[in-house]
Order: sequence, then structure tokens, then C-alpha cells
Amino acid sequence: MAGAALVKLVSVEGPPREEDGYGLAAHIGKRLAYRAIQLAAVLLTATTLSFILVRLSASPAALLAGAGATPAQVRSAHLAYGLDGPILRQYLTFLVRALRLDFGQSPVHQAVALELVRQRLPATLALTAVVLVVTGLVAVSVGVWLGLRAGRPEHGWAFRLLLTGQSLPALALGLVLFHVFGLTPASAVGSPLRFTLAVLTLAWWLVPRSARFTAGTVAGAARQSWVLTARAMGATSRELLWGHVLPNSLLAALALVGVQVAFLLSAAVVVEWLFGWPGVGELLAGSLHTGDFPVVEATVFVLAVLVFAVYAAVDLTLAAADPRLRRTPSPAGV
Amino acid sequence: MTGPMLAQEMGLSRRLMPVPAFPMPGLLIGGSIGLMLVAVLGLIGAGLIQEHVTPTQRLLAPGTLGHPLGTDQLGRDVLARTLGGFRWSLAVVVPATAIAAFVGTLLGLAAAANRGWTRTILESVTESAAGFPFFVLAAPIIGLAGRGYWPLLMVLGIVSSAPFAIAVFESTWRGRYPMGLTRALHAVWRALPAVGAFMVADLVVAEVCLSFLGAGAPASAPSWGNMLADARQSVAAAPWMLYVPATALLLTVVSANWFGEGLGQLWGPGPG
Repeated sequence: MAGAALVKLVSVEGPPREEDGYGLAAHIGKRLAYRAIQLAAVLLTATTLSFILVRLSASPAALLAGAGATPAQVRSAHLAYGLDGPILRQYLTFLVRALRLDFGQSPVHQAVALELVRQRLPATLALTAVVLVVTGLVAVSVGVWLGLRAGRPEHGWAFRLLLTGQSLPALALGLVLFHVFGLTPASAVGSPLRFTLAVLTLAWWLVPRSARFTAGTVAGAARQSWVLTARAMGATSRELLWGHVLPNSLLAALALVGVQVAFLLSAAVVVEWLFGWPGVGELLAGSLHTGDFPVVEATVFVLAVLVFAVYAAVDLTLAAADPRLRRTPSPAGV
Repeated sequence: MTGPMLAQEMGLSRRLMPVPAFPMPGLLIGGSIGLMLVAVLGLIGAGLIQEHVTPTQRLLAPGTLGHPLGTDQLGRDVLARTLGGFRWSLAVVVPATAIAAFVGTLLGLAAAANRGWTRTILESVTESAAGFPFFVLAAPIIGLAGRGYWPLLMVLGIVSSAPFAIAVFESTWRGRYPMGLTRALHAVWRALPAVGAFMVADLVVAEVCLSFLGAGAPASAPSWGNMLADARQSVAAAPWMLYVPATALLLTVVSANWFGEGLGQLWGPGPG
């Protein structure tokens, strides 16, 4: 009917360009390679930076072993990192150890650092997943509602509200919740209440900007000339919204899930520490307090891999969902 | 594809969001008044009351003689410390924003002026840096370098230059500047103040969060993050330790965001 005719009409996009026929497999391959290179570059930078900072410190071996390490542990860290050798060899040893995922023992927890992070990972993943679902539902509903009302009075008020909501620091909100529910500072205690409050705080951190972004893409899509064309061809408002406006605008929002997850993991460090939720972020913050360098290094490594895995997964989903991406080349994905 | 979206998501092109059909002069006016208040409190107010550690006057409630907003767990006056927080925030965030604006503008213009591999590398680097969890990157650096003013300034300034670079690059129509270089530079120039205001808001929050984690300001510095970290320990006994610095934080961040949004609307939507 109207929809099918519209699809035909819309799919005529001018003459084929020379880069057409790019192929889905080539596109996916390029994206994955790009993400892998990005991950490698980030890890190399982080390792080099931490090497420089460690070398600048008063006693690198004590720092590497972690605060509270016994003299024997400091001595073994000194040997393991080859701190007697020339500086270039020290750097290579540092890199090789990172490459072998050998972050050493945590002197605080008396356990292998990477294993500690692995044990904390499920708690963080559960938190992140629930927050993403909650944020997605709320932000898309609010964003679509707002996007379809561009220019009306209620849009102005909702816009102000979102702008102010975006400005309210979620950390302060989390602390108010912490106070209202009478929590006490405790390290790594998981309870349904703490989980719920952490989800609320993190969702507050994410929802306003996601809702505003969705509103922007929906309003943008609703202004397109193909909406007018479809209306002229007799499409109902519902057909237009679900069949054309939403798929077009939500794809753009989907492209942002990777950035959202990166932002979320960053905020999770603060919120997990605030509520004492036993995740990777709480481990990182706690290890910074105790000076537990092996655990800090392992945490940063695991979170970096996680972030770029999510970026790659979003790339794959987009390639599968958006036929346009398969045709246009992506110049190094930027 | 992610470049422009990233710029929006990072809050740097918030002004490219759907602008209401009618202007909101209230945002710019309210934001300006708020920012002036913050500046006055930071530059003058912070000098009026000195902060003392008086162990005999711990956790006094607001309204006590000499301590209108109470004291904290070490007997420090909450009002004096909160006012000091304005000065501390300004002293960290304003230079950090300047560093970010300088480095980011250079990077963005370099990406716009070059073609081929140079641009690809610049774009990838800024995208990776802007798309990486900030605290996961910043907290360990400060943890290793030690808490303090300079590490904080450097980390905030350098890490946040990536979003600036993206915003500048987008302002030149991704290096195409179809209406000539002068117009492109003009667009960059017009974009910078609003972007800077948003950056101030984001960096105030970032500084507070890092200090809250114990990986930011030195323990004795009157950072709101330090105050909130103390408040977390004793909020049940002394809620004023939470609500006073939280209000100051709120005033600063909301003012900067309103100012940026109002400025963006005043100068019309940027290149979309």
C-alpha cells in the first residue's frame, strides 16, 4: 500500500556511486580491524604512561608491588620487572608483562590481580545491563515524545527541565539517596537496595542527555521531505511514526550505545564506590585508596577491553540493521 | 559517522540539539547571574572567612555561634570550606578549560587542514580518547602521579581537549569549509564560548568526582569532592556536610549549562 510505494520511492537515491557495492563482509572486517587497532593504541598509551609515572616515583619497585607489600614481595617485583637493567629493557619488560596479562599479585588481597577483577566483573555487568535497559526505555519514550512536539509550549518546558536535569550532578543525587535511605559506608556489600539506588543514580546520569539526543534525531527525521511525501501518499501518522521516523532516528541513537557504555562505566566507578556495590569500579576506587597498583592496572586493562568489545558489537549491530552502512565506505570509521 | 554524534553526546554541541521555536533569554540571563555569583563567591567570599581545624568543635549543627552552617568531622567551618570550594573549583577548572581549548583547537584545526593519513590518525586519536571512560583513564593517572593541583589540572586539561578537538573539527564542516577558510574560522570562534561553558560545567563535576574517589584534590584542599567524601562517612549525624557543598555544586553546574545553552541559542544553531 502506501508504505510499499514509499519504500520504492525512497530507495531511488540518484545514480550509483563508484564506491557502491562495498559488501557487508568488507565493511564488518574494516570496522573490527579499526576497533582492534584503537584498543591496541589505547592499551599501549596507558602502559607507556604508567611506565613513565612509575619510573618518576621515588621507589618504582614498591609502587609496582603495591602498598603494603612485604620487603620480599617488593624484592620479587624488582626482579620481575628487571628494574636493574637499562631503561629501554625495563620498558620492554613492562610491555611484555602487560601483553601476557601478567599484572602480578595484589598485596592487599593476597590474590592474582586479574582474577580479582574477573570475580567482580559479573556485578558490574549486571548493573550496566539494567541501567542500559532502564535508560533506553525512559530516554526513547521521553525523546520521541519531545521530538514530535518541537516548537510547542510544552516542548519548551520539557526542554528546560531536561537541561536542568542534565546539570544536576548525579553524584549529589546519589548522596542524597544514600542519606534518605539511611545507608552507611561499607565496602563491597551487595544488597537489592544498594543495587536499586545505584541503578537510579546511574540512570539519572544518562537519561537526560540520551533523551535530548533522541529528541534531536526524532525531530530531525520528522522534518525530512520524505515525511511530507509519505503524508501526501496517504500514510497514517502511526505508519509514519513506526515505519519511517522511528527506524530512521533510532538507528542514530543506536550508534551512540558504545559511547553511552563508556560513559556509564566511568560513572559506575563513582557510583559503585558511593554505594559499596561490589563491582569492578568499587575495586578500582578501593585499590586507588590502598595503593594496590597491580589491581589498578588489571582493572584498567579489563575495562578497556570491555569498552572496545562493546564498540565492536555496536558496529556489527549497526551494519546488520542499517542497509546504508553496507553501501558507503567508512573512512577509518570516523 | 560517530564524529558528529560523539560531539553531541559529549555535550559539546548541546546547542545543536533541537532548539525550541521561541528563544529562551531566561537561560542566558539566569546563567550569567549564576556565573557572576559563583565568581564573586570564589574571588571575594572565599577570602572573607578563614578555615581552621578546631578539634573541640566537631560536627556542630548549623546555627551555632560563629558557624552559621555547622562544622565537619574535624571541626572545620562548613561555610568557609564551601566558599573555599568555589575558589578551588575556579582555580582548577578555568585553567583546565583554557588548556583544553588551546590543545583541542590546535588538534581540530590540524585535522581540518590536513588530508589523508594525518587526518585519519588525528581523528582516530581524538575519537578514542573522547570515547574512553574518563575516570578509568584519569583516576589511575592521578593515583600514580599523586593527588595535587598540578596532576589534576594536567589530566583534566589534556583528556578534555579531545572533545574540544571534535567540536572544532565539526565547526569547520569536517574540514571542507565550503564557504571559505575565513567563514570556517569564524564558525570555530563562535562555537568556542558555548563549548567552553559546557566544558566548565563538565569539568567541575569531573573534579568533584575525582576528588570524591580520593584521586583528585589533596585531602586538605577545600574541594567539594573532598567535602562530599567526608559527608558520605558522617551524613547520618551531620546532613549539612552533604547539603551545603551539594548546593554550591548545583549552582555552579546549572549556571554554566544555562549560560552555554543560552549563548548557543543567541548565536543560532551551528553548522548541522
